[in-house]
Amino acid sequence: MPPTLRLNAVAFVSPQNHPILVRTFLNQDDVIKYHYIAHTSLDIVEERVNSEGKPVDCYLGLLYCMEDVAVYGYITPLKVKIILALALMDSVVKDVEIITIFKALHMAYYTSISNPFLKLNNLTGGGSPDASPFLFVGSSKWKNFRHRVDEISRAAGTSSA
Amino acid sequence: MATSSKQYKAIGEDLWKGRPEKINAELFALTYGALVVQLIQDYEDYEEVNKQLEKMGYNIGTRLIEDFLAKSGLGRCSDFREVGEVVAKVGFKSFLNIAPIITHSAPPPPTSPSRPASAGSLSQASAGTFFTLTFDENPLAEFVELPEEALEGGLWFSNVLCGVIRGALEMVQMQVQAEFISDILRGDDSTEMRVKLVKYLEEEVPVGDD
Repeated sequence: MPPTLRLNAVAFVSPQNHPILVRTFLNQDDVIKYHYIAHTSLDIVEERVNSEGKPVDCYLGLLYCMEDVAVYGYITPLKVKIILALALMDSVVKDVEIITIFKALHMAYYTSISNPFLKLNNLTGGGSPDASPFLFVGSSKWKNFRHRVDEISRAAGTSSA
Repeated sequence: MATSSKQYKAIGEDLWKGRPEKINAELFALTYGALVVQLIQDYEDYEEVNKQLEKMGYNIGTRLIEDFLAKSGLGRCSDFREVGEVVAKVGFKSFLNIAPIITHSAPPPPTSPSRPASAGSLSQASAGTFFTLTFDENPLAEFVELPEEALEGGLWFSNVLCGVIRGALEMVQMQVQAEFISDILRGDDSTEMRVKLVKYLEEEVPVGDD
C-alpha cells in the first residue's frame, strides 16, 4: 500500500518574523514544539535567502531534520514564510508533492487575507496601529483560514505518495 | 415553456461571450469588498449600509437595463414569471456569468370576486407574486468572511444586487421589492433573493390586443 504523507504541522510567519498561524494536525498538546521548530527554521531560511546571489525560488526545499520531523520551507514573494513539518518516513518524499502542498497553502493564505473585513476589524479592534492586519488572519476570529489549512492537510494526508 | 427556457440560456451565453470588455473577477470582488468595508466605516450602522448598497444598486440598475435591452433585443415579457426567467437566465448570465436557479411562487388567491378570466394576454399578476433566485456562486463574495458584528448587525453583503433588480425593473414599468432571505456568508445553507411584484406602474399597457 502506497505510504501517505503525514503533515505534523504548518507555520506561517510574517516578513517581520511574527507568527501568523501555527497549526498542528496530530495532538494539540505539542503546539509549543512546533513554535520552536518554526523559530529555528527562520534562521535557516534567512541564511538561504541571503546566500543566494540571484533572486531565490519560492520553494526552499528541505531545511533540516530533527527528532522525528523533516522541515521544509517556502517563502512567498512578499517574504511571508511557510514552514512545513512532515513526519519522517522511510519512503522517499517527492519534491513535487511538497511544492504542491506549499502552493495550496500559499493560495489559502492569499484567499484569507483578501477578506475585506480584516482591515476593518483591525481599525476598530484597537491594538497597535502599526501592526499589519495580516497578523490577525490566523487568530481565533477568522475561522476560514484555519479551515482551509485543515482541508489541505486532509487532502495531502489522504493522497498516496 | 421548456424551449423558451433553453432559448433564454442560449441568449445569456451568447451575450456573455459577445462582450469584449470583461473584468478580472478577483479585482471585482476586491473592489466591492473594499467598498462595503468603507461604507461600514462611514455609516457604522449595518442597516444603513444595507440601504446604501441597495440605493447604489438602484442607480446601477436604472442604467444597466438600457444596455441589457439594447444588446439582447428581447421584447416585453408576457408575465411576471417570464420576467423572472429572463432576469435569472439572461440578465445574470450576461453580466456576471452566473446562473441562479429560479423558483416561482404565486400569491395567495384573492378573496374578492375575480376579474373576468379573459383579462388579455398581459397577465394581471396580482401584487405579491414573487420568484426566488438561489445563487450557488456569488462573485461578489469571493473572499469574504463576515465578522460577528456584521452578523449581528444584519448586514446583507450583496445587497447591491437587490437594488440593481429593483432599478432595472422599475424602468420597465414594474415596481418590485427585492431582498435577500438567506446568505451563505451568514451561515445559512444557501444564498437566496426574493423578488416580489408590488404593482405595475402603468395602467392598461397595451400588449398585443387592441
